[in-house]
Amino acid sequence: MLSEKKVKPVAPIAATVVGIVLVCLLWVLVGAKPNPSDNADSPLLGQPAPAVVTTTLEDKPFDLSRRKGSWVVFNFFNSTCVPCRIEHPELLTFAQNQLSTDNPAELYTVINDDDDTAVLAFFAENKGDWQKIRDNDGAIAVGFGVAKVPETWIIDPNGYVRLRIAGQLSEGLLDEQMSILKVQFGS
Amino acid sequence: MSTSNKLNNKYSWIFMAAIASALLLFGGLRDSGPRSQQDRIDAITSQLACPTCQGESVYVSRASAAEAIRAEVARQVGSGLRTDDETIAYIEQRFGSKVLLLPRSTGIDSLVWALPIAALICGAAALGVVFRKWRTADDGDPSADDSALVDAAMASDS
Amino acid sequence: MFAAGGVSSSLGRAFLLVGIIGSLFGALASISSARSRDRTVARLIPRFAILIFAAAVGAFATMEYAMITRDFSMAYVQKVGSTATPALYNFAAVWSALEGSLLMWVLILAGYTVAVCFWLRKKMDDVLANWAMGVMFIVSMFFFLLSFGPANPFAAGAPGVFDGPGPNPLLQNHILVMFHPPLLYLGYVGVTVPFAFAIGALVTGRVGEGWLLATRRWTLFSWGFLTFGIILGSWWSYEVLGWSGVWAWDPVENASLLPWITATAYIHSVLVQERRGMLRVWNLSLLVSTFSLTILGTFLTRSGVLNSVHAFSESAIGPWLLAFFAIIVIVSIGLIGWRGDRLHAPGSIDSVVSREGAFLINNVLFALFAFVVLLGTVFPLIVEALQSRSITVGEPFFDKLVAPIGLAILTIMAIAPVLPWRKASAELLSTRLFWPAWCGVGALGISVVVGATGFMPLLTFALGGFASGSALRQVVLATRKQGLRGLVGRTNGGMIVHVGVIVIAVALAASNSFTHSQELFLKTGTPAYFSGHSFELIKIFEETTDRAISVKALISIDGGKAYAPAITKYTKIGMNIGTPSVKTGILGDIYLTLEPPIKQDSGEAHIKVFIKPLLVWLWIGGFLMAIGTVLAAFPGRRRKPTDATSALIGSNDVE
Repeated sequence: MLSEKKVKPVAPIAATVVGIVLVCLLWVLVGAKPNPSDNADSPLLGQPAPAVVTTTLEDKPFDLSRRKGSWVVFNFFNSTCVPCRIEHPELLTFAQNQLSTDNPAELYTVINDDDDTAVLAFFAENKGDWQKIRDNDGAIAVGFGVAKVPETWIIDPNGYVRLRIAGQLSEGLLDEQMSILKVQFGS
Repeated sequence: MSTSNKLNNKYSWIFMAAIASALLLFGGLRDSGPRSQQDRIDAITSQLACPTCQGESVYVSRASAAEAIRAEVARQVGSGLRTDDETIAYIEQRFGSKVLLLPRSTGIDSLVWALPIAALICGAAALGVVFRKWRTADDGDPSADDSALVDAAMASDS
Repeated sequence: MFAAGGVSSSLGRAFLLVGIIGSLFGALASISSARSRDRTVARLIPRFAILIFAAAVGAFATMEYAMITRDFSMAYVQKVGSTATPALYNFAAVWSALEGSLLMWVLILAGYTVAVCFWLRKKMDDVLANWAMGVMFIVSMFFFLLSFGPANPFAAGAPGVFDGPGPNPLLQNHILVMFHPPLLYLGYVGVTVPFAFAIGALVTGRVGEGWLLATRRWTLFSWGFLTFGIILGSWWSYEVLGWSGVWAWDPVENASLLPWITATAYIHSVLVQERRGMLRVWNLSLLVSTFSLTILGTFLTRSGVLNSVHAFSESAIGPWLLAFFAIIVIVSIGLIGWRGDRLHAPGSIDSVVSREGAFLINNVLFALFAFVVLLGTVFPLIVEALQSRSITVGEPFFDKLVAPIGLAILTIMAIAPVLPWRKASAELLSTRLFWPAWCGVGALGISVVVGATGFMPLLTFALGGFASGSALRQVVLATRKQGLRGLVGRTNGGMIVHVGVIVIAVALAASNSFTHSQELFLKTGTPAYFSGHSFELIKIFEETTDRAISVKALISIDGGKAYAPAITKYTKIGMNIGTPSVKTGILGDIYLTLEPPIKQDSGEAHIKVFIKPLLVWLWIGGFLMAIGTVLAAFPGRRRKPTDATSALIGSNDVE
């Protein structure tokens, strides 16, 4: 009689281990959502704003440090970007509303990877008489960590970054946030 | 190939190993010359991820955000004020840690380094165990199916 | 269901529905024939196979017809069709986005099903063959369902649209886009065939060697096209994308590489099973992994879970693919676990230093390789799912970890071909490896003399020399013994493939480590110098077609032939694409790109020059791999029909 040797159950054990690992992987993948949009976090919040020295579309010099004393709002913009176009009326309303406050915020459009003629044409058609500033080589965008437009940033009168809104502005959002910040940081 | 056999002895191999090591050390340690500015820019941008394209480095990507970061890196390298690591840190301070292509070795990110090393050690250990077992194992033990077959045949014979 | 959209839409969907029903009944017929051994049912199987193939051809032809006639009533044509796209690119536009490429998958899968059916035509009453056909039908049904339902290419588009943007401009400016996806898919989809036979073997319990031999050529065929497809993709990336590289460890690239890694491990490991009946669990696991990885890869890149250079869009097919992946893995692992006792090897490996030992180490190395690539690809996903923050795992990670694995593989590639089966003595090894080792030292010497620096590249060159010495030794000995016939057959063809791989490894090491670039600002008439070459701007000119305006800078290199990198603006989409221009040379390429902004009348051009050492050898290596694969597919010495199934297959081993 041949001796019966117990066959080591290698295959079932290995199969179970691999199975468990894969079930974990699947569980993680099922829970994974397609990429979330950028949150409005930034390492710059509460920090001094990066230096911004450039020219406006009218070829006048612009220096962010000389705007101390007022709230400054930067809107990163590109004339071909669809959400930028859609949010434009929001900016118009915001600029209008600021005029009736006692410390109006200064709104600036930062031109992101676009040529002057296209931007001028857009503003001629859609109105908006605030200053538009150039961003040569994308230095300002990189300084703020802006990769995609539109983005809106609010800087307080002391030059500190207080808010970042990534993506299209929803209705009334900018006005609301501006009021909150003005109360929070005085004037 | 008798010439070959004559040459192929222990001393030839030692000689070969010596030459190979010498060449390797010489070539590996020698200075490849000063790095040009563009080389520095390329090295830095190869370690930064383009923020709008998942996974591509700034060196590779042609997106506008990548162009802007390349321009900034070029400016910083040109000014000569910062080292490579400082420039990378500057960009990381602005864009967040997602712009680093090499995950840091802290927290859960370190798993991406630890797991392959663990897998390597497991694999090597398993190989070691298996090889040792095979050296001492005896061949030809039948599986349960085969034993049953033989038993059945022998039972029906007798 | 058929109402909206034109006749084409309805016709297309009808074809897909026929495909679904045909594959469902084909699967039922196969499984029923397997269980009942009923020959009448078995006779139905080929008919269903032909039916689904006809359905797939019909659906694909309908899609092409709609694209060629610019039928803008269909949403898909609205997405990627355009009146301005030239005919050739328009034809290829069908597979430029998700739904159309899935339709191509269906076509190729149905083609393989009917081809396997034809190959099995005399064995339709064999149980294993029935199960294999059943699996093919089930997988076909899944993809027909995907194309009918969530990824419907025949959906009606918005009314009143009469033109479209055309495919992504990157997919319109190089002829390779015609070849890379179909050829890659021939490989990618083709791994379904060995998988089907693996499942058939597990279900029937016939896990011996017979079916392995029978499917060898199918596996080699798919592997060959997968390899070729990947190399073509790298070539396209080099010629079109403008960063002068060939591989970026992009998730889509990784998705195509993962099944290649396990398939390569399989075609080596299966030799041990043929010879000694061992490593059965490994082989089945590798086959199952290869197919599962194709599905997982498709899920990762098409569901929008990760984004990359060619992931087309977020789509509803994610959950379907994930579910299918889960089913495949669970069923396969269950089957392997169930049949575990039969997979126990009759023999054992006698010694580490033997060909079996080398192949086992090879398996572990390739498994590690696949693990690293898979981990790097899904790790951002895992971190995001667990901690809701996004990180990136990119090129430096993969380069750092894959390079040592690559060196280990080169080492095994050097030693394994000279290893005999069962056991090798040190004396034998030192005799056989003597001259290959000197080749390695020679290669190292040449590299050092030429000026290469850095441990990793130098090690690559040294091991490359060693491994090619080993491979060529085998080929030389075989041709000495058998003349030209010594170039043919599995072993010798395989050695030529190895040489191709080594050439690619050396070229990658050279171009990755020693690429230099420089930005140059050229003015007409004044040459600039970089890396021993002169670059002179001759003129800037514009070319307008009805779909694009190209601004090109004509640049003369070393006072000789002129090359014209360009920036092309595709007017319909409004995208600017840079097109590089490459001067290819045996020792290296000179790669030129034109940087924006460029003004035609300014007489100035801002260009970037890349010097890429040994880059053309990537394509030469790929070509060698292709030749080697074809040679390996030829039979070596024929098996005698009276041999036992487990008898040694005639091999071209010269010892």
